[in-house]
Amino acid sequence: MGYFCTYVPEEILYAAGVLPVRILGSHEPQDLTEPHIFAMFCPFCRDCLAQGLKNRYKYLDGLMIAQSCLHIRQAYTSWIKHRPVEFSKFLCMPHKVQSPHAYEFLTEEYKTFKNEVEDWMGKKITDKDLKNAIEVYNENRRLMRKLYELRKRDIPPITGEQVMEVVMAMQMTDKAEHNKMLKDLLKKLENHTPDRETGSRLMILGSEDDDTVFMNMVESCGATFVIDDHCTGSRYFWNEVENGKDLLSSIASRYIDRIPCPTKDWEERKRIPHILKLCKDWNVDGAIIMQQKFCDPHELEFVSIKKALEDAGVPTLFLEFDVTVPIGQFKIRVEAFLEMIGEEDLF
Amino acid sequence: MEQEAKYPTEKLKCWQKAKDIRMKFYQDYVEAHDKGGLRWAGGAWTFDAIPAGLGDDVYPITSEPYSATIAFDKKLSLECMEATEVKGYPRDLCSYMRNYWGSIITDKFAFGYKDGEFVPRFQGAKPIGFPKPDFIWQDHICCSHAKWYQVVSDLEGGIPMYTVDNAVGPSHELTDSKIKYVVEQLKDGIKFLEKTTKRDYDDELLYKAIRNHFVSTSKWAEACALNKAIPAPLDEKSIYSLYVLGTLQKAGKQVADFYEKDLLPEVQDRVKRGIAAVPNESFRVMSDTQPPWSFLSIFRYLEKFGCVSIGSLYTFGLIGQWEVKKDGTWGAKTIPNMEFSSRDQALYEYVKYELHKPEWQHFYSCHFKSDLMIRIAKEWKLSGVMLHYNRGCEGLTVGIAENRLALLDAGFPVMAFEGNNADEREFDEARTKAKINAFMETLGAK
Amino acid sequence: MITMGIDLGAKFIKVVILKDNKIIAKSNVLAGFEVDKSAQKAVDNALKDAGITKDNLDKVISTGAGEKLAPFYDETKSVVGCDSLGAVYLHPAARSVIDVGAEEGRGMRCDETGKILDFEVNEKCAAGAGAFTEAMSRALEVKLEDLGDLSLKATEDIPMNAQCTVFAESEVVTMVHNNVSKANMAKAVHDAMASRITSMVRKIGFNKDVVLVGGVANNIGFVGSLNKDLGLKVVVPKEPEFVGALGAALAAAGWIGGK
Repeated sequence: MGYFCTYVPEEILYAAGVLPVRILGSHEPQDLTEPHIFAMFCPFCRDCLAQGLKNRYKYLDGLMIAQSCLHIRQAYTSWIKHRPVEFSKFLCMPHKVQSPHAYEFLTEEYKTFKNEVEDWMGKKITDKDLKNAIEVYNENRRLMRKLYELRKRDIPPITGEQVMEVVMAMQMTDKAEHNKMLKDLLKKLENHTPDRETGSRLMILGSEDDDTVFMNMVESCGATFVIDDHCTGSRYFWNEVENGKDLLSSIASRYIDRIPCPTKDWEERKRIPHILKLCKDWNVDGAIIMQQKFCDPHELEFVSIKKALEDAGVPTLFLEFDVTVPIGQFKIRVEAFLEMIGEEDLF
Repeated sequence: MEQEAKYPTEKLKCWQKAKDIRMKFYQDYVEAHDKGGLRWAGGAWTFDAIPAGLGDDVYPITSEPYSATIAFDKKLSLECMEATEVKGYPRDLCSYMRNYWGSIITDKFAFGYKDGEFVPRFQGAKPIGFPKPDFIWQDHICCSHAKWYQVVSDLEGGIPMYTVDNAVGPSHELTDSKIKYVVEQLKDGIKFLEKTTKRDYDDELLYKAIRNHFVSTSKWAEACALNKAIPAPLDEKSIYSLYVLGTLQKAGKQVADFYEKDLLPEVQDRVKRGIAAVPNESFRVMSDTQPPWSFLSIFRYLEKFGCVSIGSLYTFGLIGQWEVKKDGTWGAKTIPNMEFSSRDQALYEYVKYELHKPEWQHFYSCHFKSDLMIRIAKEWKLSGVMLHYNRGCEGLTVGIAENRLALLDAGFPVMAFEGNNADEREFDEARTKAKINAFMETLGAK
Repeated sequence: MITMGIDLGAKFIKVVILKDNKIIAKSNVLAGFEVDKSAQKAVDNALKDAGITKDNLDKVISTGAGEKLAPFYDETKSVVGCDSLGAVYLHPAARSVIDVGAEEGRGMRCDETGKILDFEVNEKCAAGAGAFTEAMSRALEVKLEDLGDLSLKATEDIPMNAQCTVFAESEVVTMVHNNVSKANMAKAVHDAMASRITSMVRKIGFNKDVVLVGGVANNIGFVGSLNKDLGLKVVVPKEPEFVGALGAALAAAGWIGGK
């Protein structure tokens, strides 16, 4: 099952014996999506749709999305029309996650969804299946938090680029398998000291971001990403499913209480204190705020995030990403930024 | 190019009244505090019957039509846009929002007084600042709605704010649980209003406002349905000046009365007498999304070709409520026939009715919108469609490219033109007119 | 019957004179800043070439961005309408036409008579038009007319994200710093532009008989990239820049295809 947004409750799919695979782009220029998506929507949604139109996800039996931003919704709606799949679902994830009524509403939506998946798969999802799925997913989240803990070290044993690869793998593979590999990785990293300078400790935050080329460029300029706030990063796994009234409502609570995407972060901006805490706990020297071009939810946020970070003494660099980024230009800006925050250390 | 008149035409008699209602709306907002009343801000889609329960002296300002007013004043709009950009907000964000924020940042209100009379700023009003609302009462279905007012609150140094999530799924999938989620939020909202304003809430006033809401939204749709007639009694440029009342205060008595008692009888009479909006009507088209407000002249330009834009899903369904009638055609939604006996029951009916709004359906799938557009194209007997690829509003352009493909598939020629509802820097009048020329050629005009 | 078509493009003014639907004269003049004067000159040149005067003309149709600036005309007609008519005249099987001019790229579908069925024009951006190759040839310090040949010598494909001419220029700067050869860069420029045009043309759809007109059709490198993107071989008429003016003159004569 291909999914478009990390608000999809993967536990329910996994419990049904369905493997959730995140749809991501390929970072290649393309000319297929113009008839389907108006040019002022984000490059990521167009890149994702292009993969569908190019039949690169032909192995999928189903596609789904949970209600989040309008941009990515278009990749989903166009895809299911022009490359139909056996099972498709728009899951009505509530926007007002700060409302106490969201829990009950989402639980009801999950009940319907669970029935639909059962009909499709031709078998019941038992509580045992659900419990197992929750356990596998929670273990995965705990292991990832451990991995992130290692990045608090003065010399982090792993780079931001490498972590990004781990997260992407995590969104594409069976979590049970990923858990095994993660345990191996954690063991290897336990006493590992990398053969590179750490340099400035950076945070990266913003829209969907799987641009490893960019991460590599920055980390070769005398810096290391030690923490992030991305849906292709910490936001994806930060929160676990906790024991609640029943299994479905426990899962619902997890997705309602998780670190929010800015589309859902209102009326209070709860993401800001979280970001500030990450900066403090991971001892960050500076933050790169990136966003996909035209990504409104993040555009509506970065002015206040920038202010909050700078008030907390964390310098920021803002960059706008497209399908491919102009590495040369960005390098100049990143180097200048690193020089700037490097100098500040002197005082 | 000019063609001869085929039908008689007349100016709308209710025109001046519509204008007066609109001006009074803004004046009431500005002067609310002078009379000990309250003022609040929220979007055109907000559940405005709810604050009505706080008293008869509670006046709203709705963000989108107010911002469209600014857009109409090119000079002020540019100042607002630039002020917003200076604060760091990107140019591709919702352009209504940027006008609105700019009006707060520059502290310039789009209206004021000239010799004691309340008039728009561009008509020479003495400048006044943006009157700060006492609270924010908003709804959220597109990516910007709630975030819009987070920033407003930031800019104003904090305003109590409540937003209702109304994105619970398409109308044909409504369930009790979905309706209740919205109802419960409204009930919490009433508590918020009582606490914020320190006023007691009056359910009777709420019931009246909900009834007004039913009348406004249903009667508006009824007037639009009359535009199926050939010749069309209304053209879209005039429709813009009429539908706006529903975007100001759909739960207001003055709006319900106007649609029911002034507009509807007049349009019925025009149809009966064969009065055309465009006397040389030979081609009928519809548009989509908000128009580029400072370039409504393109609608007059169409008339040179004998082309009338009869409306759009946007003007019909942004405020209007519709249903499929027994004969299978689209008509005004039937007003629920019931007495309200409790707050819970009234809210339930209000929400259930409102979640059918045609302009909320495409948020779940653009294909729902395609179906509605094809329905309009058939029932209103269109020769073609002009789609405004509006860079200023993602909420209404989401899926618009798929709508284009579906309309073409259904056999309707489509012209897409790029522009922006409120940022005139992104609209190219000359090129758009050149496109219209070519499009009219394909329709067989000339 | 003698008719004249005037195409006032963003960069050049083209004039075609037909006698009984056969071309008897044409002219091409740089528009410059004083467009009205240049238009007068273009018309005069064509009349002189044909050996006739203004009074011999039965009908004149003007088209293009500056259609109203022609010294005289009876009617105006849209560029897309003229392009498709001209294309069908030259290549009767043509049902899709692409016109890449200096400031604008257009795609259209037409029927056998040359009447347009659907069309698309690139939006306010030069990255899908001739101005883009011009800017790029400046950045590469290569003569515009040599850019096409140069790109044929390319040895690899380098992706370039031509969302915007200004951005693309700085991408070229990065490539220069990375020692990418000029030939490879020239090809990247053409690929990027072809991708923009293909993107636009896909919106309206196309069949196998695609005619490419407009000045940029003379650029062999661009044509190659476009063919690859569309997955077919576009037909480029001789002197593709005159097709719009030809269509205008044909329209003035009341000519339609397929008959």
